[in-house]
Amino acid sequence: MEKQDCVEPIIDTFEERQSHMCIKGGGLSLPECDKPGIPGTVTQRTCVFGGARIVLMPITDSIHLVHGPIGCASCTWDIRGSKSSDSKLYKKGCSTDLKEKDIVFGGERKLYDSIIELHKLHNPGAIFVYATCVSGVIGDDINSVCKEAQNITGCRVIPVQSEGFQDHNKTKGHWIGCDALIDNVIGTSEPDQDSITPFDINIIGEFNVAGDLWGIKPLLEYLGLNIVSTVTGDSKIEDIAKSHRAKLNIVQCQKSSNYLAKKMKKKYGIPSIKVNFFGIESTITSITEIAEFFDDEEMKNRANNLIENGLKHLDNKLEEYRERLNGKTVALYVGGNKAWSLVRAFEELGMEVIMSGTKNGIKEDYENIKNIVKEGTLIVDDANSNELRKLLKKLKPDLLISGAKEKYIALKLGVGFCDFNHDRISAFAGFKGFLEFAKEVDGAVSTSVWNVVSTSIYDE
Amino acid sequence: MKKNQDCCGFEENKYISNKKFAVENPARMCQPMGALQAIMGLKNAMPLIHGSQGCATYMRFQLIRHFREPIEVSSSALNEKTVIYGGENNLLNALKNVSEKQNPDIVCVMSSCLTETIGDDIEGIISKFEDANIGMKLPKMVSVSTPSFSGSHIEGYDKAVLELVKDLCKLNIPNDKINLIMGNLSPGDVNEVKKLINDLNISSIILTDTSLNLDAPLDEDTLELHKYGTSLNEIEDTPNSKGTISLSKHADSAGKYLEKNFDVKCFSENLPVGIKNTDRFVKNVCELMNIEIPKKVERDRGRLCDILVDSHAYNYRKKVAIFGDPDMVIGIANIVSEMGMIPEVLCIGMESERFINDVGSIKELSNEIDYNPIILENSDLFDLENVLDNHDVDILFGNAYGASIADKNNIPLYRIGFPIFDRVGAQRISCLGYTGGIKFVDEVTNMIIDYYYDFEGYKLDEEEEIVFSDIATEEKHIEEKF
Repeated sequence: MEKQDCVEPIIDTFEERQSHMCIKGGGLSLPECDKPGIPGTVTQRTCVFGGARIVLMPITDSIHLVHGPIGCASCTWDIRGSKSSDSKLYKKGCSTDLKEKDIVFGGERKLYDSIIELHKLHNPGAIFVYATCVSGVIGDDINSVCKEAQNITGCRVIPVQSEGFQDHNKTKGHWIGCDALIDNVIGTSEPDQDSITPFDINIIGEFNVAGDLWGIKPLLEYLGLNIVSTVTGDSKIEDIAKSHRAKLNIVQCQKSSNYLAKKMKKKYGIPSIKVNFFGIESTITSITEIAEFFDDEEMKNRANNLIENGLKHLDNKLEEYRERLNGKTVALYVGGNKAWSLVRAFEELGMEVIMSGTKNGIKEDYENIKNIVKEGTLIVDDANSNELRKLLKKLKPDLLISGAKEKYIALKLGVGFCDFNHDRISAFAGFKGFLEFAKEVDGAVSTSVWNVVSTSIYDE
Repeated sequence: MKKNQDCCGFEENKYISNKKFAVENPARMCQPMGALQAIMGLKNAMPLIHGSQGCATYMRFQLIRHFREPIEVSSSALNEKTVIYGGENNLLNALKNVSEKQNPDIVCVMSSCLTETIGDDIEGIISKFEDANIGMKLPKMVSVSTPSFSGSHIEGYDKAVLELVKDLCKLNIPNDKINLIMGNLSPGDVNEVKKLINDLNISSIILTDTSLNLDAPLDEDTLELHKYGTSLNEIEDTPNSKGTISLSKHADSAGKYLEKNFDVKCFSENLPVGIKNTDRFVKNVCELMNIEIPKKVERDRGRLCDILVDSHAYNYRKKVAIFGDPDMVIGIANIVSEMGMIPEVLCIGMESERFINDVGSIKELSNEIDYNPIILENSDLFDLENVLDNHDVDILFGNAYGASIADKNNIPLYRIGFPIFDRVGAQRISCLGYTGGIKFVDEVTNMIIDYYYDFEGYKLDEEEEIVFSDIATEEKHIEEKF
């Protein structure tokens, strides 16, 4: 993080923000990161509560109860875009709806009553109780309320200590979400002896956004793996409770869930591999590494088959997209993991990543980005909406990959946009997903819409 | 379910929830969210939420996916340390950064539940900032107290408009305008009101005018501070107007304030949705401005009457459930009654005496002898879903969160209110005034034709056929017997 890395200001912004952007090249290192946001700017960041909630929200058979005023629940309810193959309970927006009276006298009683009531109404697999800014400040002891309610109901009632103000970085929220699982869920049930196989795995950090998990699962099952649990996309609480007997954890979103994999390694000795099913090369590497881990001949043969078939299936169909996308440029500005895990996938489409950044990156994340991007790529940390606009104007990429908050900044500037976040409508994982991905990227970049909207009434 | 004798002289069917403590699928949002929506209608203004980052981010998220426009909301980005020592430094910093970097005319500081609880004195901090910068050109700074543990987005909207007027208004020479307080309306509806006012040939000050800011063209200028909307000068000018009409009964505090302190007459009536309510709105405006109703307006009224008649056969006695903000729920209930439908279930997320009283006005419109709607006050969508489990309705009105209820009951959802994130065009939805009403009746009727009639427009109703055939067989039996 040397000052001379950023001799020339990249865009006009606050002086202390200049060191949060750098260009990879020569001996250049990393942008400054993991610092509190500047008050008064329009942040793209969220809070610790949000971080914890998005990790746990996809657990389908659970009630997610927000212990706070109504806004925390009504603004974050069912926003993850996670699909479920069974229970829809997780889609409910539940709140203890703290009122002035509760702020003065404490909200513990109301929380207790709410838990009992929701349990009676829905008989859920578990009730997750999220602490918010206010319940934290007034000092409600959600731990003991949860414990008491669990004793009465016999249902898992899990406290999540996710007061929003705890940190500037929502990654802390991810960890708090993971802690709730490791402390209260994982290892609390034993699998049936008959169901145990030598090839039991957990998929960690896959949230089944737009159904991504369903693109990954068949591949793994074809290899002969037995998926004990997914944490947390399309999951049920009992499966996660039994996940400690798996032989291997494969970690898809390393940003949110490596923490959990490490804890499971420490507590239960389960090794983990980092995988990535976005992109051809990454999918192949992931499949190969899993097969190599188990060192089973049958599985290795199947892996080869799978890869061969997958490639055969893809190549011809991708040609058309590649033709149109060749040489187009991409900017990534995402929550974390995707800032590096998507770079190769774009290169496989013939596109060039010219900027990559995250909202909540820590040093390790930027190491990952730096290792994968080409020289000359702009690496940026925590750009606020003003900076993002200026960067997009300066770089003029053909495409921005980001979430809903950034979408219309890009579109208004005439930059193609592809949602890779909560509002995504297609699954992108695995071989089949890669085709979908190529199709959507092509749709964003090559659409005729841009030809007409860039004209003026005064043009000939 | 309990029946009360109501002041309006009819049996009020107040629903008592079988759930007491938790809220499940809320039908309201928090105060700062409402205040934000008011500020979105200001020109060259910057909203600043004094709280954790998440408040600004998640509210932006909801606003952006509804309006499909970039939305700027700044945050004082509090963290653990500031919670212990107070958020003063962060807010001072935020005011400095916003003033210097964005150069707005107005900065609106909203409190959050966090800063209300730790007791930050926002007004004091603003004074401190202004004192420290004497002689500098600073934006006008307005603070709105919006703790999310009391009230809802409706009170937030009301407070924001009140604080703006209170802090900024200046008595000067009379201006021959009327003030219009919009409430939480879509830009499309604000536009309808502006068109109507234009047709009446009068000038107005709109509090606040979101119509251009939140339905903007594809233009990178929209990434700057909002260029359109109500200006600082216009807010300053409000006590010089001839009168105020609050379209929202729940957001009339600024109007009341101007009436009390500056003798600016204030009308606070039902949302001008449908014939009767729009008539009253037009009459109030004309009375204030002492003008005749222009032919163009009468003609539009006639066109709305025409479509009511044209479509009545499809709509007659269709049962309706409506949820959302009280003003909108009453407005929709009025227009669907005028269409010949029956508003059976009315659900709002807050408590409101005015709302309960207004249900009486729907009774007057309806031809139903036994009209006794189910009223869900201070309710959530769990309650609505429960009621609809036992009460068949033909169409549901409300925001996107109603989709799963409509799906479960196999009825269409007419999307209106906030948020609507699963369809495009939320910013253009309108039902206000005569011309907004025309669009609304067209769309609702076509939705009903789509759902309940075949492609040639014949009724799909097998059940009724069975009933008739049953009667026929029975009659035959009776004939045979005797």
